[in-house]
Amino acid sequence: MQFQLDENQAAVLAGVQAILQHHQDVPGAHRRGWSYYSMELDEALSRNGYLDIGRTEGMGGVESALVVLEAAKAPVSVEIGASVLVAPHLSATEIPRPICLISGDLMKAQRYLPVARTAIIDTGDDVLVLPVDPANVEAVESIFAYPFGRFKTRPDLAGAQRLGKAAVAPLRQWARVALACEVAGAMRAAIDFTVDYTKQRKMFGSTLAAYQAVHHRLAECHLIAEGVRALALKAAWSGDESEAAWAATYAQMNIQKVLFDTHQFNGGMGVTNEHKLHFWTYRFRALQAEVGGQSGAALDTADLRWGPPGAGAIDRAAVRGAA
Amino acid sequence: MEFAWSQSHLDYRKRVSGFLEKELPADWFETLQKGIATKEQAEFSRDFCPKLADAGLLTPQWPKEYGGEDGEAWEQFILAEEVWRWGEPRGPQYMGVNWIGPTLMRFGTEEQKDIHLKGIASGKLVWSQGFSEPQAGTDLGAMQTKAEWNGQGYTVNGMKLWTSYSEWADWIFLLARTGPERKQISVFLVDMKTPGIQVVPFPGLPEYGHLNEVYFDNVHIPASALLGEEHKGWDIMAFTLNFERVGLPRYIWGLRTLDIAVEQLKAEGRFDDPICRAAAGRIVARFEAATVLTYAVVDERINDIQGTVTPNVQRITAAQACLDLMSFMMDYVPDCLTGGNNFLELFYRGQVASTIAAGAYEIQLDAIAQRGLGMPRGR
Repeated sequence: MQFQLDENQAAVLAGVQAILQHHQDVPGAHRRGWSYYSMELDEALSRNGYLDIGRTEGMGGVESALVVLEAAKAPVSVEIGASVLVAPHLSATEIPRPICLISGDLMKAQRYLPVARTAIIDTGDDVLVLPVDPANVEAVESIFAYPFGRFKTRPDLAGAQRLGKAAVAPLRQWARVALACEVAGAMRAAIDFTVDYTKQRKMFGSTLAAYQAVHHRLAECHLIAEGVRALALKAAWSGDESEAAWAATYAQMNIQKVLFDTHQFNGGMGVTNEHKLHFWTYRFRALQAEVGGQSGAALDTADLRWGPPGAGAIDRAAVRGAA
Repeated sequence: MEFAWSQSHLDYRKRVSGFLEKELPADWFETLQKGIATKEQAEFSRDFCPKLADAGLLTPQWPKEYGGEDGEAWEQFILAEEVWRWGEPRGPQYMGVNWIGPTLMRFGTEEQKDIHLKGIASGKLVWSQGFSEPQAGTDLGAMQTKAEWNGQGYTVNGMKLWTSYSEWADWIFLLARTGPERKQISVFLVDMKTPGIQVVPFPGLPEYGHLNEVYFDNVHIPASALLGEEHKGWDIMAFTLNFERVGLPRYIWGLRTLDIAVEQLKAEGRFDDPICRAAAGRIVARFEAATVLTYAVVDERINDIQGTVTPNVQRITAAQACLDLMSFMMDYVPDCLTGGNNFLELFYRGQVASTIAAGAYEIQLDAIAQRGLGMPRGR
């Protein structure tokens, strides 16, 4: 067991960071918006091979997870989790990206649908790979810091590639790893941004950072972000279904705490779009319900550890809603 | 970064688990259910730990010259995980093995090492710790117990509490004030048979045997009892507490306890409730986070990475998992505190003060804020 990055991993991380340093702010025209999808960052990551890292020989789950985690620290969004961590485990051939992952009601607003070329749909007993017709997508305005959109009319699923029931579990597993990586990265950035703000903002003659009440809550946020990161990386390394469920559970169950505390200590500024905080917090907020949400991940954790519930238990697929 | 156990680590785990399965008596769990710091446990450990020592499994990470095997830190944690899977049959020996021994190696005289390290490595001696006082817990600098130089040695007066196993201990690792200034404290290695020492157990939420008061009434101890330099106890404690903070793989016992609670719920036909199942799943996630963060601490130790807050992060994560498990028990199996399940009660009462011991929860958070996040000292 070795927690330090090896030479390969350190090089990947340094390479991604070098690209990201040019994307540490949202362009002026979009600065007061809810979200900004950076095609420039998308192209830069793609051009340098980081979006293919999941299919690159010699690169493993940790390298892929590091790329997703690091990219999630940027205030701009870019579809990377599904491309880097999910798609390579579903199909040997490349799936056109950006990719929109859909579970639940197909006709509800979906993350990344306005920019997606492909939708990967979890129907409960099959996985469909559906080319997205941009003409059939309308953008949906939302306070979430991702582009959201919905289909104008129900897409014809007959033309979708069917991966079969065997693909359902890997899809959910790797979607959970991806969401945990994105939560870890966005949490880290939101916490660091908040800590910096508390060091500058004065109240009653002292900086906010000098108050122990602030210390304790941000320290708790820090340990959550560290825990999510560690679980996400380990799940990416192992490819183990249980570990993916633990990572998603721990990430999703703690989103409310980190979101509340980071906003609280940015005060009134934190709820304005003039401040940058929402570009991170309303990304991880949007991930709170993905892949079944924290309850779904926790229930899967329980099933995997202690076996499924008895025949009289609630049908979770019915609760979640079918695609 | 990679998380695989090496073949030698897998072999080592097999060796430890095989030994425990073979050597632990059939009635071990009955002994365990009498309580962790009870006389029965202390006596059991005096009998069992020499067997561990003979098998090279008590102090494997110690240098060979002190009775160890020059093992690496991972082996120490694999050993700890395996013994905690069985509820820690080493009893009080975790103190001697995990942090008193390493502290003696770092700060002890040759004579002290010769006397005490052999004793700890034999598994026959029981140590206790004399740190806390009624007005000095996390704030150890407020302690009142004094050790005054009397021309030949020291005279100790005062009282300690929270001295697990002291009723059955041979030695106590004692912290006492040797000067009027706040940081003028020193560490002494004191024979519990010394006249003037009285142990008074008393009841509390933790199990019997943890909360003992130890009174020191004109206790004369030799100069050779002083560990390290006089007034330098603070430095020694900084070294010692770092070991203590990550000493217990709580996640192993926590997950085992959760499994036992789930077994009970299943037997009673109550584990199909999705709210209960999801609550149990969330606790697993917390303990697994604590597990991987504990491994990160071990990795830092192996790579000599110092000054990080990973030990504090790990400790709080584990404490939160324990608190959630205790709450889960009260939601679903509260009868464990009314005679319904001794194993669950053992965990509950064993963890009831886990956010206080070895540096309170808030002190750990302060450390994370200041050293981890670069925030100024709080007010």
